[in-house]
Amino acid sequence: MPDHDSRVPVTVLTGFLGSGKTTLLNRILTEEHGRRIAVIENEFGEVGVDDALVLDSEEEIFEMNNGCICCTVRGDLIRILGALMRRRDSFDRIIIETTGLADPAPVAQTFFVDEEIGSQLRLDAIITLVDAAHVLTHLDEVKPEGVENEAVEQVAFADRIVLNKTDLVDEAHVTTVRDRLRAVNALAEIIPTAHAGIDLGQILDVGAFDLARVLQDDPRFLTDTDHQHDQTVTSVGIELPGEIDVERLNDWLGELLGAKGTDIFRSKGILALAGSDRQYVFQGVHMLFDGDNGRAWRDGEPRTNRMVFIGRNLDRTQLERGFAACLAGVPA
Amino acid sequence: MTTTTLTDTAWRQEVDDAPVTLTTTDDLVAVGGASGTAWILEAADGRPAGTVTLPGGLLDLAFSPDGEHLALTGPLGYAMWTATAGHTTVNETMRWSARARWASERVAVADGRTAIVLDTGGRELWRTEPATSTVTDLAWLRDGRRLALTAYNGVRCHERHRPDPIAAYTYVGSHLTIAASPNGRWICTGNQDASIHIWRTRDASELTMSGYPSKVSRLAFDDTGRWLAADGAPEVTVWDFAGKGPQGSSPRMLRAHDTVTALAWRPGGSATLATGGSEGTVALWDAAAGAPGRPRTSARRWELGDQVTALAWNGRDRLLAATREGTIHCLTPRT
Repeated sequence: MPDHDSRVPVTVLTGFLGSGKTTLLNRILTEEHGRRIAVIENEFGEVGVDDALVLDSEEEIFEMNNGCICCTVRGDLIRILGALMRRRDSFDRIIIETTGLADPAPVAQTFFVDEEIGSQLRLDAIITLVDAAHVLTHLDEVKPEGVENEAVEQVAFADRIVLNKTDLVDEAHVTTVRDRLRAVNALAEIIPTAHAGIDLGQILDVGAFDLARVLQDDPRFLTDTDHQHDQTVTSVGIELPGEIDVERLNDWLGELLGAKGTDIFRSKGILALAGSDRQYVFQGVHMLFDGDNGRAWRDGEPRTNRMVFIGRNLDRTQLERGFAACLAGVPA
Repeated sequence: MTTTTLTDTAWRQEVDDAPVTLTTTDDLVAVGGASGTAWILEAADGRPAGTVTLPGGLLDLAFSPDGEHLALTGPLGYAMWTATAGHTTVNETMRWSARARWASERVAVADGRTAIVLDTGGRELWRTEPATSTVTDLAWLRDGRRLALTAYNGVRCHERHRPDPIAAYTYVGSHLTIAASPNGRWICTGNQDASIHIWRTRDASELTMSGYPSKVSRLAFDDTGRWLAADGAPEVTVWDFAGKGPQGSSPRMLRAHDTVTALAWRPGGSATLATGGSEGTVALWDAAAGAPGRPRTSARRWELGDQVTALAWNGRDRLLAATREGTIHCLTPRT
């Protein structure tokens, strides 16, 4: 993320009813006292702090006529965020609280699709709260054909997962839950806590592009070959030394996400582009993707490319082959 | 480029908010601030004459044609202010009210997924059945005999006092604004997917003007119904609806702004268009001049130094312009 980014950060709080969203939101509003915060909530919570502007909104999901079949946006958010941006008292932070049944994709896609919003607001992170005692039941719930499991989606879309209410279960259960969350979303940092008592620095101003550390912490999933060709939502991480040809990358991603965008929930990467001394940070939501220059590569730092896909029916071999063909100098 | 900078300004006034909308009568100007206060100013000299507040913010303001009543709409409801009595009726519905549009002594206001028609006292006369999502804009057709409203997936037209639509024009997508030609022949919507969708009401035939770089959120027909101005690009586009309409034609393109933030046709059908931009310019155009498809620049402009957020004519000779920091400029174009 470039240092000069002056856009207002937006945090999306998602999670099932009872996962502790309202408790966490009230903590943010109390502890960030003195900052101007606007909260957009989808269900009347018990948010009550005088210096926050709280707006209620009913989810309105709109399809886009942009040739992208899975591209939906939140019409209500476009409207409300648009009105907020026209106010003179600009906000330090905006928090969007979604219902427990909300699909996070349209929320994230809104920031890609609407230029007015994308130019003034920055989607900082999607924070998913899960209840340690009940999340496995939600994740395992079998839905009718064609109906998404919202709990799986919310975990898959998360940049950070707050594993709440760990005081209500034993340590072995926490480990089981962590492993399960990790299998769905290898990228999100999991923060165990009780009573939503986490350090707010772990969920605010995260900069969703901050991937390097996570990938270093747990390189295991880079080679994990479980769950190929199945309906389970999993993560595939790929690491490649060398330099990427940006045109080949765009062609490949365009083709891949065009064909498989419905199954690929999120894609993220930190890349070394040929001819650039800065990292290229990239992220996509379904078929939409966007990239920008990040920090400069450090002296002596190996120029390597890391890419992560989270989704259904991911074919590691095919993804690896496609990514490798984007390397500069490789015969096409 | 031969640009003349005109500095003719009758008066300036400051308000303590970011203005989002302007409306005028012969005697008064109302300035709507984003946070919910409307400032009433004397049109002659800009002197403050009072304020009206709608809790939760303002999205639109509209004076009645006789200048006696002011409708206010916002994210949490709507209100009616009566100038002579200084009396305000507030209706905090907690629903999004995007727009107010008058037709003689009645005003249609958006109320969530519904449109409600009120009398001058703010009393409900009738309402439409709910649309599928929040109403984003309204327009009266045929001298107020028919009301058109737009929401996600299209436009519905209602005869007076008829909750069910007499006609529905469907087009999948998020429609942000509506403009109808005064004779009711054309209905156009500006869309989130960077296009203008146009219906000919007689036979519901439709066409789409795509290729805009960004969403189209402002559309305006001039008084004659021949010219339609649109934002959605750095150039203001003006489509010619003479004869069989704009199908297959290119628009006139007016280049003055980084991003177009306001459009206002001069009343009286002279094809004169005022436009405002994010860079702080107000430009005045003869939209009929020039060739279609060829961008041209304006000979008349004012540099206000701050993003223009609203424009409104006060008669034919005075143009009100509001800037983001809260300055209202009463400009006097020489013609």
